[in-house]
Amino acid sequence: MKNGRFPYARILPVLPSVLVFTAFFAVPLAYFFIISFWRVRAFQLRPDATLAQYEAVFLDYSGPLIFTLGMALAIGLTTTLIAFAFAFFCRFRAYRFGTALIFVTLLALFGGYLTKIYMWKTILGSAGILNSALLAIGLIDNPITALLYNPVAVVITLVHYTLPLAVLPIYGSLKGIDDIPLEAARDLGASRMRIFADIIVPQCRVGILSAFSLSFIFAAGDYVTPLMVGGPSSSMIGLFIQNQFGTRLNSPLGSAMSFVVIGCCVVIILTVAAALFAVTRRRD
Amino acid sequence: MTAHVELRQISKQYGAVRAVLPTDLDIQKGEFLAILGPSGCGKTTLLRMIGGFVMPSGGTITLEGQDVTRLKPEARPTNMVFQGYGLFPHMTVAQNVGYGLRLARVPDEERKRRVQEALSLVHLGDFGPRSIDQMSGGQRQRVALARALVMQPKVLLLDEPLAALDLKLRKAMQEEFRRIHSATGGTFIFVTHDQEEAMSLANRICVMEGGRIVQSGSPQDIYLRPQSRFISRFIGEANFFRGQRKDGKVTLENGLSFADAGKDAEIDCVVRPENMGIRLNESETLPADFDLQIVSTVEEVVFLGPYTHYKLATQNGERIIVEVRDQGQNRCAHPGAKALIGWRSRDHTVLTE
Repeated sequence: MKNGRFPYARILPVLPSVLVFTAFFAVPLAYFFIISFWRVRAFQLRPDATLAQYEAVFLDYSGPLIFTLGMALAIGLTTTLIAFAFAFFCRFRAYRFGTALIFVTLLALFGGYLTKIYMWKTILGSAGILNSALLAIGLIDNPITALLYNPVAVVITLVHYTLPLAVLPIYGSLKGIDDIPLEAARDLGASRMRIFADIIVPQCRVGILSAFSLSFIFAAGDYVTPLMVGGPSSSMIGLFIQNQFGTRLNSPLGSAMSFVVIGCCVVIILTVAAALFAVTRRRD
Repeated sequence: MTAHVELRQISKQYGAVRAVLPTDLDIQKGEFLAILGPSGCGKTTLLRMIGGFVMPSGGTITLEGQDVTRLKPEARPTNMVFQGYGLFPHMTVAQNVGYGLRLARVPDEERKRRVQEALSLVHLGDFGPRSIDQMSGGQRQRVALARALVMQPKVLLLDEPLAALDLKLRKAMQEEFRRIHSATGGTFIFVTHDQEEAMSLANRICVMEGGRIVQSGSPQDIYLRPQSRFISRFIGEANFFRGQRKDGKVTLENGLSFADAGKDAEIDCVVRPENMGIRLNESETLPADFDLQIVSTVEEVVFLGPYTHYKLATQNGERIIVEVRDQGQNRCAHPGAKALIGWRSRDHTVLTE
């Protein structure tokens, strides 16, 4: 019955997600990939087979592209580092409070995206909490306006937003590490640092990489945060892409930009993965 | 002469719980010592104190005349085979075994040679490049042993090393441990709750109960001359006959009596099942030197292959097991039958504790 009458019964459970994925991700992606080789004439899409859009991306948008990838890399690495430290603390130092701290981390996901952006505006703004506090203590005489509307504010906001997402995969992989091998390593003469480098990190490489990828990809694609807290100097590529699809009605160029960003992201993630595995490689 | 390892008044207290009461123990070089006891008796805590994983609440530990009480495990010349092995899952077998030597900055060539030697010693010579998850339970046990032995520890500590293996594998590994102990000539201390394992492996057994060593001696000593009811129950099977000792004469509740020097007290007369004799036919008699004899009722006959267990009850309700190497010829013994049982008074132990 199980496999007899309907041999494909086993794939039935994944069918809905395959359909949704195909219809709302693979098909649109393919569509945009195709039109990235088209042109726009008089606000009309014209089928073509040109690389003109890609040429335009590299000629006109390489600045924002590099800036965006640099920002995303900074955000991804910072988030991963902080998330690792936090997850490490929860797993190895917080004893029975570890699980409670992870639960609190999950609660942090409840705050909406825009709420968090406005929260940082409130904290960093010239009439914000930080400035008011510093004024009240008397450390400064005039509000510091440089806190907001710069790339650093974007990094702070996005690190804060992606942090809970990065903590979970790292904590998951740290949780999977058995305690006895750590004792065995001590017994064989390993210092805390060596245990960390030789036993703990190599066993949670996948978790670290998931955390980095999640925060990096989110940062690379975001355009609302730079718009709200970034100021004119920190326009990221997402904003330009949105403009091409929105006000400029040039979806071929927008598509080409998107695919360049996707390609760059894949290359960066693979590079980071290769670096992580090279650094933690076991030698005989 | 000072012992290889000396524990002096060593103790451990967790809050209000006294895991190990002040204990003295001397371990000689080359000894294969078993610390035997039920779970929660403090045996693992004692072993972990020797390894440095548990800081003692009091007392000192001396290793070859050097005080190591405050030394961390990474600085101690002891190595441990952990319960559950604690192998590094992301390393190959050879990497696991070589890790300690790598930390000690042993040159590559020497390290590879010593890893290969250690793997050969545990019969895993060809398994170096394998990953841990390709190894079976028994093989993992050997890897853990090789990883500790390769460090040439002054003392090898083994924490329930065979607990996770099935019976057949356990027997085979016991054989291996004996061979490796005589091949390396090292000092081995192992913790177990399995009395059979302790007796087949160790030169000396320390029985622990309630955080104390209650008896220490050769396996024969422990088995034949248990010093308390607890030990005689814990090690092997035993028959208990309650009684009174008065003016150098013991009178058991079942009516038997014999001479026994000692204070007047409530006593237990302990006899091992294999030291008891049984006669099921009225026409037969027990050998003449079986000086203590009594009639009982057969309750159950259990055939166990090389021997048979007769379970009987005396008239005053004591439950007795008699072990006979008769391979079940006496099948006629049916529940309810009367039988004559007995033992030599030199084979019993009189306990007051």
